[in-house]
Amino acid sequence: MQHLDEGTIHSWLDGALSADEAARVEAHVKECPQCAAAVAEARGFIAASSRILTALDNAPRGVIPAAAPGRRVDPIVWRIAATVMVVAAGTLVVFRNGVGTAKTDQAAVQTVPTASSVAGPEISMRDEGTGTTGAPATPATTTAKPSPTAPARALSRLSATEKRGAVGEVAASDQVARSRNVPAAPPAAQTFAQTSGAAAMDAENEQPQALKVVGTPRTIGAKVTLYEVARGDTVTLTEPTALQLQSSVVTGVAAGKAAAAAPMRRADAAAVSAPPVASANAQASRVESANGMTTITWLDPVTGNMLRLSGRMPAARLQEIRLRIERERAAAAAAAAKKDR
Amino acid sequence: MTDVERLFRTYNAALVRYLTRRLGDRDWAEEVAQETFVRALRQTSIENERAWLFAVATNLVRDEARKDMRRRKHLALLAEQERDEVVEPEETTLERAQEAAMARKAVDALAERDRLALLMREEGLDYNEIAEALQLSPGSVGTTLSRARRRLVESYETLQKSREEREKNAAS
Repeated sequence: MQHLDEGTIHSWLDGALSADEAARVEAHVKECPQCAAAVAEARGFIAASSRILTALDNAPRGVIPAAAPGRRVDPIVWRIAATVMVVAAGTLVVFRNGVGTAKTDQAAVQTVPTASSVAGPEISMRDEGTGTTGAPATPATTTAKPSPTAPARALSRLSATEKRGAVGEVAASDQVARSRNVPAAPPAAQTFAQTSGAAAMDAENEQPQALKVVGTPRTIGAKVTLYEVARGDTVTLTEPTALQLQSSVVTGVAAGKAAAAAPMRRADAAAVSAPPVASANAQASRVESANGMTTITWLDPVTGNMLRLSGRMPAARLQEIRLRIERERAAAAAAAAKKDR
Repeated sequence: MTDVERLFRTYNAALVRYLTRRLGDRDWAEEVAQETFVRALRQTSIENERAWLFAVATNLVRDEARKDMRRRKHLALLAEQERDEVVEPEETTLERAQEAAMARKAVDALAERDRLALLMREEGLDYNEIAEALQLSPGSVGTTLSRARRRLVESYETLQKSREEREKNAAS
């Protein structure tokens, strides 16, 4: 018998040979020192490669995003944005405590032109807050951007400031703002309900049957939620979280409360950045189907985020699930709003 | 217990480990494994379950890789950035981290077919199952595996040696 080739030796060691072949190989290895050495070497390779592969088992999680990679923002951008936010907030507090006129507020806004879109809503909130605090005789409509959500904005700003754990002067100025804004709470709620449309109305009625969340894969730049709609049948909801990070940065003192306030604040930001879209396109959606996978993209009226829901099912069924998710989200937002008040 | 539940309980651990080793990311691995079981759900019957599951998982990975090479490159960069930030749940010693990095490099250096065959074998697939999953002839699996193992170990040892030399140079 000629010498064994490496493949045969591995097949033999892996138990992949027939009984006949195995017996023949075994007999040869007993007589042939060269092949016996090759077998020993092969055993070494088998053991060593197993050991090497075991080292791969502690792979990190969350390296690859589950969805929306195109919308990922470099983490450094978040860090810069967060820093700008903190600096902007700090600067504004200082200015407000200094003189407390509309003039200083303007100066403060100019101090942080780089705050851009992330810091934008927060700065506007400051503006509005001062408008009502500093000059109660002047109606809010005299501000540059009259917005139906102005009271809601003032409210959410309050909660954000509370969470910041501010003491002393900041807290005192908050007290003033709060006392002025509390009467405005009911209209705020009304506006909120209007903005969030029918979904919110439904949410007021009865707690809908809860969808089961089976997973929330970690991603950057988007919140991904897997809902189980039937046994073994899941849909994926993707929501960009540009402003969620902002709230966690600003309100890090009490994360739980901040999370509750988050939907409200995001609704706010949406109203600031794109008011016409939020009202006109609230119910518009786009449905795509490819390879049995249906995807619905729509603008969430509550948060102003583009939401994406995908699942392997007909569009009609997915729409139905979308409505259920919307209802739940609206209910959560309404609950958060109540808590805020 | 439904059939898919049984499939999941029987094969999920091995499939996730196989995919983690292949992809270097556990979340991604779990996602692909889930998708694999979802596809199994839609099958009326599967002849060889294990070979079928590993083949489908492998194809899912391959399709995705083909679809978007650019994305993967970008992600590799991000992964590097994140590695600095990710706090490992278990304490990872420097030694272990270095071993893992060398193992990754050595595995990545293999030809795709060799790598997949080896990873499947490590999960206990027999030669017929590997042949079926990778569409090889059963007779060539032994050769494929022997080549994969030898190359993996040799690459790893080369990396190990150059590391030792670097350390020696740094010390002197």
